[in-house]
Amino acid sequence: MSDKVKLSRAVELISKLSIDKASQVFSKLIKSGARIELEKAYVADISEATAKIAADNNEVVGVYVDIVGDIPLKFLFYVDVPGSLVLSDLIMRRAVGTTKQLDELAKSAVQEIGNILASAVSNVFAADFQVSIKPTPPIVVHDYLGTVFEEYLMEVAVDKDEIMIIESTFFVVKDNIKSFMFILPVHGSEKILNYIVDPAGGGK
Amino acid sequence: MDAAKDLVVGIADIKVGKSPDSIRTSLGSCIAVCLYDSERKIGGMLHLMLAHVPADVSDENVKKAKFADTGIPELIRQLNRTYGVKPSDVTAKIFGGAKVLKNVMHNIGYDNEVAVREILKQNGIRIMVARTGGDKGYNIRFELENGKVKCQVFGEEPKEY
Repeated sequence: MSDKVKLSRAVELISKLSIDKASQVFSKLIKSGARIELEKAYVADISEATAKIAADNNEVVGVYVDIVGDIPLKFLFYVDVPGSLVLSDLIMRRAVGTTKQLDELAKSAVQEIGNILASAVSNVFAADFQVSIKPTPPIVVHDYLGTVFEEYLMEVAVDKDEIMIIESTFFVVKDNIKSFMFILPVHGSEKILNYIVDPAGGGK
Repeated sequence: MDAAKDLVVGIADIKVGKSPDSIRTSLGSCIAVCLYDSERKIGGMLHLMLAHVPADVSDENVKKAKFADTGIPELIRQLNRTYGVKPSDVTAKIFGGAKVLKNVMHNIGYDNEVAVREILKQNGIRIMVARTGGDKGYNIRFELENGKVKCQVFGEEPKEY
């Protein structure tokens, strides 16, 4: 079995657990059912991955969280602007439609969602794999999707041409909102990811 | 006449084409270098991430389009190999280099711009337009029919350069 396939299986298992947990936390947070519409882990060429994203020039609100510790990860949560207004109402327990524009309060609501989801992902690693990691303070950005994604990948893409990506889409059925979550293992994480899934053969 | 292609460039990537194609991308701290031969309506775009190949990495082992010092020569090479265009046939327009993340101390975008200017100069290519810097992203579309670049900085009206 090639390293890439082995790596992909390890990441698939971890990503499934992380995404399931994040979805549960997200549903609870917004008090609305958030269905997982997409859940995948893959290795992608940095140019191809970003060209696909750059083709869609929507403006989004994105939240970056660096997760530091035994397995450093980079986390991104984003939603388009209309969706961010609805999420802001949901998290602040207000009638949907109350928030009319993306002000600092609305951005901070989305930032809080990102923060809580990143914490949920960290907890999966800590509880299920006894790995010590913790999220750093979230950073919220309002910009083009292509720009938000480019800045997200920068650190990892500096010395890698292919990157491992864990991607998921949450669909809030009642309010017809799609939001997106990405987890990116940072340098050195791959060996540990393999090891925690397959201690006998991983990490080599 | 061939149908117009809508080419999208990712990071560390190069696309070349001819009229009536267009080439587009989104940028943050990265820089897009657009080279255009106005006589033959041929052009190319490089979307580079960083100024220089790290000292401990061999040029042979890198994705050339990732760095200004390897990417610009590679863009010139691809234009020459595909269409016979020489550096003396083209002019340049550059975009991007924003500092999107305010908490990051190092200004990668600025370093990128300095390197791009230097390398274009070394290759004898004149910069006609530089729309760079700021703290917001860029969306650009390079029309190979006329060499114009439609650039929209996030939150601003689109402008043509």
